Amino acid sequence: MKGGWNWIWKGSSIALLAYVILRGFSTPLQPGLVSATPSQLTLEEHTLTLLAVGQPFARENAQASDFELVLRSGDQLLATVLTDVQPHAATAKVRIPSTLPSRALDAFLFTPDAGTLFLGNACFVEDAAKGDIPTEFRAQAPAEAAPKLGFSFPYQPNIMESIRNLLWHVPMWFAMFFIMGLGFVASLAQLRTDSVKWDLRAEAAVRTGVIFGLLGLTTGSLWARWTWGAWWVSDPQLNGALVTVLLYSGYLILRAALGEDDRVGRLAAVYNVFAFVMLVILLMVLPRYTESLHPGKDGNPGFNSYDLDNSLRAVFYPAVIGWGALCYWMYTLRLRMNRIAYSLLSR
Amino acid sequence: MAATQHTLRTAATIARMEWRLEWRQGHQLAAVGLFAVASVYVAFQASDQRTSASAWTAMLWLVHLFSGFTAIGRLFDRERSQVRRYLQWTAAPLGLMLGKLFHAVITTTALTGIVLGAFVLFLGWPVGIESPGKPGLLILGAWLGGLSMTTTLVFVSAVASQVRGGSGALGAVLGLPLLIPQLILATRLSRGALGDEPWTMLVEYPLFLGALGAGTATIACILFPYIWRE
Repeated sequence: MKGGWNWIWKGSSIALLAYVILRGFSTPLQPGLVSATPSQLTLEEHTLTLLAVGQPFARENAQASDFELVLRSGDQLLATVLTDVQPHAATAKVRIPSTLPSRALDAFLFTPDAGTLFLGNACFVEDAAKGDIPTEFRAQAPAEAAPKLGFSFPYQPNIMESIRNLLWHVPMWFAMFFIMGLGFVASLAQLRTDSVKWDLRAEAAVRTGVIFGLLGLTTGSLWARWTWGAWWVSDPQLNGALVTVLLYSGYLILRAALGEDDRVGRLAAVYNVFAFVMLVILLMVLPRYTESLHPGKDGNPGFNSYDLDNSLRAVFYPAVIGWGALCYWMYTLRLRMNRIAYSLLSR
Repeated sequence: MAATQHTLRTAATIARMEWRLEWRQGHQLAAVGLFAVASVYVAFQASDQRTSASAWTAMLWLVHLFSGFTAIGRLFDRERSQVRRYLQWTAAPLGLMLGKLFHAVITTTALTGIVLGAFVLFLGWPVGIESPGKPGLLILGAWLGGLSMTTTLVFVSAVASQVRGGSGALGAVLGLPLLIPQLILATRLSRGALGDEPWTMLVEYPLFLGALGAGTATIACILFPYIWRE
């Protein structure tokens, strides 16, 4: 059957992306604590309210006695009395002793079904003296119950629901690297053989790569707005990404400027080789040596190993393959256009 | 061995020829100097009388960048004409590139001196505006930053000069994005040199700038024969 393999991999890439979109948007987020009010405490009794996002950590009408809230100061635990538990909120009474090992309090909410929820630096006690927590205020660490959450994405502070963007932003950059690498190889072959067929490949690869670079920038900018609070920040990884996209736009401008010149293939290949070396320096080398907000500086440029748990992996790896295959598909379409245009023009 | 000697001799000849031509057609050298000094004067007029350290570095690098464009952007202009035919027959491509690079390094060193001198004359010596800085590191940074921009610009203007009927604008369009990393490193180094940090905190910036400059020069040398071949 002619072209059978083509149908298989193209169909699989669509199926994978459909799976990624459905699974990525329908999977619930694990519960996580986002805030504690009031966050500034004084040396008296307080009613502390903790708010959570994601899946509910408690059923409607849950018994507060099944849950336990403990505050940690330094390495000592402070007891609280839970009064009310809602699906996304917990209220507790807490008395603050006059001496604490640390003024910052971390909160641990022990739940029967959703595991232990943690909120670092939940509240601050302004006027506590430094010292041990008196014994009558102390708490014992309760037994931790294994979470029964089903298939769900991990909760990360700040990132929260936007963790789904991992399935778009990161694979798009991977696809861009992949297709630019292909273009680099094609350009090297062009310089070696001086044959137009490699030039057509390089052009198709860069044009597809620029699209994926722009998509990566857009999804990254959206993510930055949510997690860092600005559409764009000056950060080595972001600077590198922007410069890379500008650089490859320069490739397309150079081609356009050369027009019908018969040396267009060779000059474009020279520029493309230079651009790919700069891409490696800008996105793989420089961000590792300077401070960056962007995750994954050490090791993989896309993510840290602790960002990925098994549920995310089950969708992330299909996303990488799916976007990569789509990118390659777009490249083959462009290549066919280039070949037809070339054969028409050189007839 | 003979090939290497030929290459080196070409490099020396090209560098010497470039210098002689620059001196004979003095107006081009003067034009770059005039551009630099006039830009600094504009910066001086635009900046009020009190310049902060960060404004000083921002203006320094803007002026340095565009002076670099005017100085290096026309490096291969002569090769647009029949001179190109002649050099293609007589000169080794690598030697030609090395000669041009050497010439560009000398030009950039002189340009750094002119720009820094004009800045000190009009906008004052920045060390001591906000804190006792590190003048040696500032000068080293200006020079190294200029050099690492220059090697990239040499490559870009070599490519851009191949476009028939093209203008200097293409070199600027292709060159500016390529220079952003160098500029980021250089401005950080200059700001650090005017600030309080100890120089041990900043030592990676000159190293990076030097490595970027050397790296781009090497790639330019490797790729130039492909540009040059007809």
